[in-house]
Amino acid sequence: MMAAVGAPEVISQLESAAKVLMAPPSMVSTEQRQHAEHIFLSFRKSKSPFAICKHILETSKVDYVLFQAATAIMEAVVREWILLEKSSIESLRTFLLTYVLQRPNLQKYVREQILLAVAVIVKRGSLDKSINCKSIFHEVSQLISSGNPTVQTLACSILTALLSEFSSSSKTSNIGLSMEFHGSCKRVFQEDDLRQIFMLTMEVLQEFSRRENLNAQMSCVFQRYLALANQVLSWNFLPPNLGRHYIAMFEATQNVMLKPTESWRETLLDHRVMDLFFTVHRKIREDSDMAQDSLQCLAQLASMHGPIFPDENAQVTYLAHLVEGLLSMINGIEIEDSEAVGISSIISNLISTFPRSVLTALPNELFASFINCLTLLTCSFGRSAALEEVLDKDDMVYMEAYDKLLESWLTLVQEDEHFPRGCFVQPAVQVFNSYIQCHLAAPDGTRNLTANGVASHEEEEINELQEDDRELFSDQLASIGMLGRIAADHCIPLLTGLLEDRVTRLHGQLQRHQQHLMASADPGTVERKVLDDLYEDIHWLILVSGYLLADDPQGETPLIPSEVMEYSIKHSTEVDINTTLQLLGSPGEKATSIPGCNRTDSVIRLLSAVLRTSEVESRATRASLTELLSPQMGKDIVWFLRRWAKTYLLVDEKLYSQISIPLSTAFGADTEGAQWIVGYLLEKVINNLSVWSSESELANDTVELLVTLVEKRERANIVVQCENWWNLAKQFASRSPPLHMLSSTVQRTLMKALVLGGFAHMDSDTKQQYWAEVLHPLQQRFLNLINQENFAQICQEEAVKQEIVATLEALCGIAEATQIDNVASLFSFLMDFLSSCIGLMEVYRNSPETVNLIIEVFVEVAHKQICYLGETKSMKLYEVCLTLLQVYSKNNLGRKRLDVAAEEDQYQDLLLIMELLTNLLSKEFIDFSDTDEVFRGQEQSSGAGRPVSAADVVLYGVNIVLPLMSQDLLKFPSLCNQYYKLITFICEIFPEKIPQLPEELFKSLMCSLELGMTSMSSEISQLCLEALSPLAEQCAKTQEKDTPLFIATRHFLKLVFDMLVLQKHNTEMTVAAGEALYTLVCLHQVEYSELVETLLSNQRDAVIYQRLADAFNSLTASSTPPTMDRKQKVAFLKSLEEFVANVGGLLCVK
Amino acid sequence: MAELDTDFTSGDAGASLTFPMQCSALRKNGFVVLKGRPCKIVEMSTSKTGKHGHAKVHLVGIDIFTGKKNEDICPSTHNMDVPNIKRLDYQLVGITDGYLSLLKDNGDLREDLKLPEGDLGKEIESKFESGDEFLVSVLAAMGDECPIAIKPMSS
Repeated sequence: MMAAVGAPEVISQLESAAKVLMAPPSMVSTEQRQHAEHIFLSFRKSKSPFAICKHILETSKVDYVLFQAATAIMEAVVREWILLEKSSIESLRTFLLTYVLQRPNLQKYVREQILLAVAVIVKRGSLDKSINCKSIFHEVSQLISSGNPTVQTLACSILTALLSEFSSSSKTSNIGLSMEFHGSCKRVFQEDDLRQIFMLTMEVLQEFSRRENLNAQMSCVFQRYLALANQVLSWNFLPPNLGRHYIAMFEATQNVMLKPTESWRETLLDHRVMDLFFTVHRKIREDSDMAQDSLQCLAQLASMHGPIFPDENAQVTYLAHLVEGLLSMINGIEIEDSEAVGISSIISNLISTFPRSVLTALPNELFASFINCLTLLTCSFGRSAALEEVLDKDDMVYMEAYDKLLESWLTLVQEDEHFPRGCFVQPAVQVFNSYIQCHLAAPDGTRNLTANGVASHEEEEINELQEDDRELFSDQLASIGMLGRIAADHCIPLLTGLLEDRVTRLHGQLQRHQQHLMASADPGTVERKVLDDLYEDIHWLILVSGYLLADDPQGETPLIPSEVMEYSIKHSTEVDINTTLQLLGSPGEKATSIPGCNRTDSVIRLLSAVLRTSEVESRATRASLTELLSPQMGKDIVWFLRRWAKTYLLVDEKLYSQISIPLSTAFGADTEGAQWIVGYLLEKVINNLSVWSSESELANDTVELLVTLVEKRERANIVVQCENWWNLAKQFASRSPPLHMLSSTVQRTLMKALVLGGFAHMDSDTKQQYWAEVLHPLQQRFLNLINQENFAQICQEEAVKQEIVATLEALCGIAEATQIDNVASLFSFLMDFLSSCIGLMEVYRNSPETVNLIIEVFVEVAHKQICYLGETKSMKLYEVCLTLLQVYSKNNLGRKRLDVAAEEDQYQDLLLIMELLTNLLSKEFIDFSDTDEVFRGQEQSSGAGRPVSAADVVLYGVNIVLPLMSQDLLKFPSLCNQYYKLITFICEIFPEKIPQLPEELFKSLMCSLELGMTSMSSEISQLCLEALSPLAEQCAKTQEKDTPLFIATRHFLKLVFDMLVLQKHNTEMTVAAGEALYTLVCLHQVEYSELVETLLSNQRDAVIYQRLADAFNSLTASSTPPTMDRKQKVAFLKSLEEFVANVGGLLCVK
Repeated sequence: MAELDTDFTSGDAGASLTFPMQCSALRKNGFVVLKGRPCKIVEMSTSKTGKHGHAKVHLVGIDIFTGKKNEDICPSTHNMDVPNIKRLDYQLVGITDGYLSLLKDNGDLREDLKLPEGDLGKEIESKFESGDEFLVSVLAAMGDECPIAIKPMSS
C-alpha cells in the first residue's frame, strides 16, 4: 500500500509523524501520538519495503525515520526470506554496511540499528547454504587494519552486533526463529566465526598494549575491544547435544563459566593469550572501567574447563601459569578499590573450577605462595569491608570481594583431606582472628573505627524487614565457623575467653547501673554506649560460636562437626570430667573462679560461656533491669541454644565412629547433665516468655527453642518430667498473664509445642492427666461458653470475643503440631471443634474478623492433616468444609456491605476459601494415608451412605467464589493467581464434573478461562491453556455433540488458533498453546479445516498462499487423522514449532 | 480477664467503651483507638532504634466510621486502647423523617438512627419503598453508631 503513494509523500508522512513523536508531551495530543505510532507500525509491516527504505536512508535527514527504516528492513528480510532472491539479500547487506561506513557521523542509535539489521541478515543466512555471508569477516579485518580509530570503532560495533545476535535466544520470537534454529546457528557460529572474532580482538589488544602513549580516542577504541574480548570469553558455549527445551534453560544461566569446545584448544591453551591479558591489565589498571573488563577476562580464563583440556597435565600446566601470573600481578602493588571484586572473582573461579587433584599437583612452593596470598587478601578485604560498613557506602565492593574469598575458603577446606595435613590451620587462624578483630570494639578490635582510628557510633532506625545478622551474614559466618573448626585449638579457647570476659564486664556494668538507679532513681542518666558496645561484642561472639559448634541443616539430624568432636577427644585425657560438669552446672558463677577451670573440656566451656551470658540476662530481668538489656542479645542467646540443642543434646553415640567422653558424659541420653540442661533451657524459655512478650521476634525465637525441645521424642521425654513444663502448660491453658500478652503467632507456636510434648513417653495416668491439663480446659471453656443459653446475646461482648479468638488461635496451633504419629488423636479432637465452629459462623456472621479466623482454622486443619487422612476421615473433613461453605454462602448471599473495610475483608475471606479448596484438592497429589492405617482400630469404616467427594466440596466452593470474583478483586495478584490455579486444578482433576455444573456456574467458569487466556499475565494465560486439554478430552470421551462444553471448546479452538497463528506470542507459551490446540483440533476437525480455509482464502498473494498451504499441510501431516494419541501429539508439537518459525512472521504482514 | 466468668452472664449495661491491650498483642485486622477514634488496623510493623534498642510498634488504622487514615508509633510495651465493637442486625420496619425504625430481636423498637447518606442510604430507601423485607446491620463503637450493611430476610 505504501507503493501506491510516491516515495516523497511517504517520506514526508513519516517525517511529520516523527516530529509528533519527538515533540514534548504538552505539544501533542494522545490521539496525534497514537496516530503517529500507527503510521510507523504499518510502515514496518508493509510488503517488500526495501526500495523505499533505501531511498529513505539516502535522502531523509530525520534520525528517527532512518532508525525506523533500518528496523523495517530487518523485519522484512526475515519475514520474506524465502521469497527473496539470494543476490538481493547479499546486496542489501553490502548496501547497509557501506552506508554506515560512509557516514561516520550517524547518530549512535541509528548506526547500531543498521548494524543489528546486518547481523540479523548474517544470522538468518548462516544456515542457508545458498547464501554466503562469511565475507563480512574479511571486510571487518580490513577495517581494523586501517589504523583509523573511527573505522576501528565501527568494526568493533559490527563484531559486537554479530556477537549479541548469535549469543542469546531472548530475541528469538522477535524475528520468529525457533529454538532449534537458534541453537544450530549458535553452534555453527561458536566453532568458527566466534574464534575469528576472538583472534581479531586479540590482534587489536596486542597492538595497543605495545604502544607507549595512548591518546583519549585510541584508549576508547582499546576499551571497546577489551569489552568485546570479555564478551567472547563469557560466551555460553552450547554443548553439541542439548535438547531444545534445555536450550532456553541453559541460556538463562548467569555467571557463565568458560567451557569452550575442543576446537578452541590451540587458541586458548596458548600461554600468550593469558599473558596478554595480564599485560593489558597492568597497563590499564588505574582506569576503573577498563580494569573491570580486563579482570573479568582473566576471571573467565580462570573458570576454563571441559573438553578443551586434553588431560590433567594440561590442566596443571595451565593452572600453574595462571597462578604465577596472578601472584606476580598482585605482589608489589597496592590494590585499587575497583580491582577487589575482579581479583577475588579470579581466585574464586579457579578454586571452584579446578579439581582438587589439579590444585595439589601444583609445585609445592607455588601452592604455598598462593595460599599465603589468599590469606593476606582475605584479611585485607575483610578490614576494608568493615571500613565500608562504618562509612555506610552504597557500593560495597570490598564486602562483595570478601564474600567471594570466604566462599572460596569454604570450598577449599571442605575437602581438606586432599591437601597436606594441617596446611590450612595457620591461614585459618589468621582469617578467623581478623574477622573477630573487625567485629569487636576497641581496644581488642576495630569495630566502628574509621581508617584514622576515629570511632563512629550512630543509632539508626532499623525496621522489621531488615534481616537479622545471623541470616544477613550467614554465608560469611558459615565460612568463618568452618575455618574456626579447622583451627579449633586456637579458635574455641579464643572465643571462650573473649565471651567470658565480656559477660563478666556486662555483669559488672549492669550492677553499677542498678546501684546508680537506686541512688538517683533517674533512669535518664544511664549511659548506653558502654552497654551497647558490650552487647555488640557478645552478639558477634555468640553468632560465630553458634556457626562454629553446629550446623543447621534443614530436615536432617545435624551431627557434631567431626573437627569439633576430634578436638574434644584429643584433649579429653587432660580434662577433669567433674570440674567440667561443675563449670557447666554453675552458670551464675564466674568461670575463672571455679578451681581447676583450666582442666575442663573446651567445647563444653564455650557452651557454658553462652549459658553465663544467659544467666546474667535472666538475673537482670529479675532485678527489673529489663529496660537496660538488649533484645538482640536475647535473640542471639536463644538462637544459639536452639542450634546447640539440636546437635549436642542427647547426643546419639550410634551416629558417630568415635565419641568424646566429656560430651557424652555431659549431654548423653540418661545423664544428669542432659536433664539439668533441659531444665535450665525450659526455665529460660518461661522467663523469656513472661519478660519479653513485647519483643515479638525474641518471643518467637524463644518459642522455637521450645519446639526444638519437644519435637524429638527423646528430648520431649525429658522435658515432660520437668515440673516447669507442667506449670507452663497450666498457665497457658488458664489464659492468665503474662502468656496471653504474646502475639498471636507466638501463642500458636506455644500451643503447638505443648501439643507436641503430649506425645512424649509417659505412663497412661500421667498422659491422661497431661491432656486433662492442656487440651481439655480448652474444650471445656469453649463448650461452657457456647452452650450458655444467652450466648447469642453476649457473643458480642469483648471478653467473650477474646475467649473465642484465643480458642480459634489455639486450634490453629494444634493443627500445626500434626505429625504422622499423632494425626489420629489430633484429628478427632479438632473435628469436634470444627462442627462447633460452624455454629460460630452463624453467631458471628457480622464480625468479619472472627469469620476470617474461623475459615483459617479450617485452612490449617486441611493443610496439615488431609494428606494423612484415609477415605473415611477425608470424607468427614470434606463434609464439614462443605457445611462451612454453605453457611458462609448463606450469610453473604444478597448481603451488601458498604463500610470502609468491606472490600479488604471480602478479599481476605475469598483468599482463604480458595486456599482451603486448594488444600483439599492437594489430596489428589500428595497422599500419605495408607487406607486409614494410622486410624486402624479406632473405627470400622463402612461404605454406607452417599459420601461427599472432594470434587463436590471444591465445586461447591467454586460456586461461592465465582460470583464474588469481580474484576476488581482479580487485581489483587495473589488472589488472581490462587483463583486461576484452583480452576486449572479443577479442570485437570475433575473434567467429568464440568459438564454437570449449573448453567450459570459453567458460563462464568468458561468466561474466567477466556479472560485469563486473553487478558492476564502470561503465567495465568499458560494455566488456562493447560486447563483446555482435559476439557477437550472429556468431550471426546462422552462423544456427545452440542453439549455446552462441546460448544465452548469450539470457541476455544478459534481463540487458541488465532493466538498461535496470528498473534505474536511468547515462545514459552507455544508448548501449552500447542497441546491445547492439538486436542481441540482432534475434537473439531471440521471447524479447524474451516479456520485454515478462511485464513488461506484471505491471501491474495499466490506465493504466500502456497507457502501457507504447504505449512498447514505439513503441520498436520504426521497426525492425520488427528487422534488423541501421545505419539501423534508429540509429532504435532514438533511440527508446530517449525510452523511458527516458518510462517509465524509471514502472517503478521498486513 | 479474671472476671471473665461473671461477664458472660451480665448484659452490656455499663460496659466500658474500650479496654487496654499491650501493643504487641494487637493484631492486623483487629481494632485499636488511634487519635481518639476507633480504627481497624490495616498495617502493623515494628522497628527499633539501634541494633540493641527495644521494639516500637508502628500502627496504621482506618477509622471504621469515616474511613480516615490514622497512624501512631509507640513502644511495644505500651498499652493501647481497644474499642469494644458491636454489630447488630435489625429488621427495618419504617423510615420517618430520615430516621430508621428498627426492630430488635426481642421486639424492642428503636428510632434514633438516621438513614445513612450515600449509596447505602439510597439503597435502603428504594428497597424499603418496593416492599422488600430486609435486615440492617449496625456497627457500634465508642458511642458512635452507623448502619453498614443490608441483607434480605431469609425464611
